[in-house]
Amino acid sequence: MTLGLVVLMWLLIPTAIKRFTRATFFELTAPLTIAASYARDLQEYWALRMHSNRELIEAGRDLARLNASYELAVQQNTTLQGEIGRLQELLALPSFTDFRYEHARVARRELSGWWQRLVIRKGKNFGIPVGAPVIFTGGVVGRVTEVHATTAVVELLSSPELRLVGVVEGDTRPISFQGGVNPTFGAPTAVVEFVPLDVIANRNVTKRLVTSGLGVFPAGLTLGVITKLELGADGLFQSGEVRLDERLSALTEVTVLVPLHHD
Amino acid sequence: MRRALVIAGALLLLWTVVAQANHSLTGVHLYLFVGGLYVAFAALTQPLGPGLGASIMGGLLCDATSPASLFGTHALLFAAAHISVFHIRDRIPRDDTASRVVVALLANLGLFLVFSFSQVHLSPAPAEIWPRLLVDLLVSQVALTLLAPWFFALQARALVLCRVDRESLA
Repeated sequence: MTLGLVVLMWLLIPTAIKRFTRATFFELTAPLTIAASYARDLQEYWALRMHSNRELIEAGRDLARLNASYELAVQQNTTLQGEIGRLQELLALPSFTDFRYEHARVARRELSGWWQRLVIRKGKNFGIPVGAPVIFTGGVVGRVTEVHATTAVVELLSSPELRLVGVVEGDTRPISFQGGVNPTFGAPTAVVEFVPLDVIANRNVTKRLVTSGLGVFPAGLTLGVITKLELGADGLFQSGEVRLDERLSALTEVTVLVPLHHD
Repeated sequence: MRRALVIAGALLLLWTVVAQANHSLTGVHLYLFVGGLYVAFAALTQPLGPGLGASIMGGLLCDATSPASLFGTHALLFAAAHISVFHIRDRIPRDDTASRVVVALLANLGLFLVFSFSQVHLSPAPAEIWPRLLVDLLVSQVALTLLAPWFFALQARALVLCRVDRESLA
């Protein structure tokens, strides 16, 4: 009787009130999440302070070498960007979407068997839009699904709720990608469907799966590595398994690509 | 109202502790679910109205940090678990901590299974997801057994400190 009353009340509550309640409860938890995140950062800071001067000098030297190689890559990139711009003008092609890079610390990771999400420490206060792509050094992290006052929620690539279009590196035919099973103590996985029959991949001969450029993600970002393919039930396409980057489970910082001409 | 808010405050603390534990466990792909703890104390020791209110607030807290499409699922499941435990509480030795822990474990088992069955269809490989869920359930039950005595004592103490209950009742 009481339960029936509770269910009935829930069904009768307008969606707007439910949405408001959800936002209120989320914002109630946000300061706790952010405070814990800052406490972890402080802990890390003091742990780093314990390193000896010798270790710091060695790290500085390694970073200087990396910076030198990146400087070169930046120069080459500028030249290539100019070349792309000229070709776009010449062929009257639509230009690629430009992005602003917004780096954000991960405040909370939640990787259950049901869903995989991150809460980042930037939200409306930094102009993060819903649907924005999120990346890290290993490729795609996921997509922003919710934006709150000072935080945003990112649906991870490994989450079954995330679907997007990918292509095998060097190929242009679209493949359906969906987050999959994330076994305990194992690497996160995803599944691919509608893979053309001539694509061959197994544990010994893997294929890199990248974003296609269709949708919000820029083309060429790493999604994972196809490790298994088998003939689908219809016999026209293959379906298979993708091994994702293990670092996805321990991310501490990500980059949100904010479209510059966002409507 | 005050009683419900005090218990809800304790549930907010529980949510924070579990969220931080889950954050730390992501590297090994383990996830703690302690839904049973959100309802056990309130259902076993509190009057129906404030207790149910606190359980629903705990559920809404979990719902707010879950995918938007699921909003309300935790709250309704916690309400169902609360009412079920409330109706049998006179038939069990509810003043004993061990009995309370057993009730919390059973409620957690039920909630986890119902929630899993409602979510498993979203997975591209529903059969393959169960080993992961069963490991999560096992770890959650162990964590709940360790957390429950502390959390029951915390809620009882919070009610005394806020002058909702007297010392002898806690």
